[in-house]
Amino acid sequence: MGFIRLIVFGFVGLSVIYLSMSLYSRSVRREKLEKRFDAEPIEGMSREDYVRKGVVEYNRGLRPKLLLLIYVIPAVVIVSIVYVTNAN
Amino acid sequence: MRALGIFLRALPIIIVGLILHYALPQHDVVRVVNTYQERQDLNDWTRIFWARPDDQSATLVNRDVQFIQTVKKKTMLLGFIPRETTEAMVYRNEDTGLSWPFYFKFDTANLQTEADDLRSTPEQPKWAVMTHYGWRNEYFSAFPNAIAIRPIAGPDVRVIPWFNIFFFAFLIVAIVMIRKMWFQFRERALDPALDSAGDRLDHMQAGVAERQSGFRRWLNTWRRKDRS
Repeated sequence: MGFIRLIVFGFVGLSVIYLSMSLYSRSVRREKLEKRFDAEPIEGMSREDYVRKGVVEYNRGLRPKLLLLIYVIPAVVIVSIVYVTNAN
Repeated sequence: MRALGIFLRALPIIIVGLILHYALPQHDVVRVVNTYQERQDLNDWTRIFWARPDDQSATLVNRDVQFIQTVKKKTMLLGFIPRETTEAMVYRNEDTGLSWPFYFKFDTANLQTEADDLRSTPEQPKWAVMTHYGWRNEYFSAFPNAIAIRPIAGPDVRVIPWFNIFFFAFLIVAIVMIRKMWFQFRERALDPALDSAGDRLDHMQAGVAERQSGFRRWLNTWRRKDRS
């Protein structure tokens, strides 16, 4: 039971962190794209199209996948704490 | 009143600080004197000072707990400054299992064996570093929980608290991150929403002002201009 409780609560907590981090990261990227377009607008392309294209590119890129480390790192940390605490 | 305000603002920091001081690992330089096992009653509020090794232990009224009696080098300032004097210190030795605080300790029996192995006399002392969390309080019969013990050559060692260093570094990064996220959220999501709500309110008020009678409008010309 303790194990299931740890898994469930851990998953919920990490999901909250993951969702807010991915929203934040996308929002930062969107802001950067908007500023870049405002600094040097591209001929024949609206601001919305430029930002939308950039966000699609961002979604395809590496950074959103790296955010999955939010799930991986705590699991690794817990496993290493278990090992360090109980190994002689 | 002002002192009360400062106190109320400091209260969350004090509470978090106390929880961290209770739960984070600390290192003592000790000499093991003896170990023993004793039945403990667990059915009053001091239950919070005992661990919950597994699920069934949550409902137990009493159970056997192992203890490690030591002579400990005294320290000052959260253990950062060693002192020459010693004091008696008794640790409990309990599994924490998979519950709070998250040490995931399952090796209580092994630790008890290691502690037994390190027993020594004042004449021929064998010093060791005891990693533990928790508080010793004689009046509430609270004992710090031993996590690990490791023999050392002499009592003058400098233990670097790696875990706590990483923990506080992570804590600072997390606080900075939450601040940045909050500012970004406010700038990108909250302020635009509030702005448009404020605009709608302005339009409504403008509409009301338009519909005011000529008399009221004339009266309003007598009002000070900086008030709306």
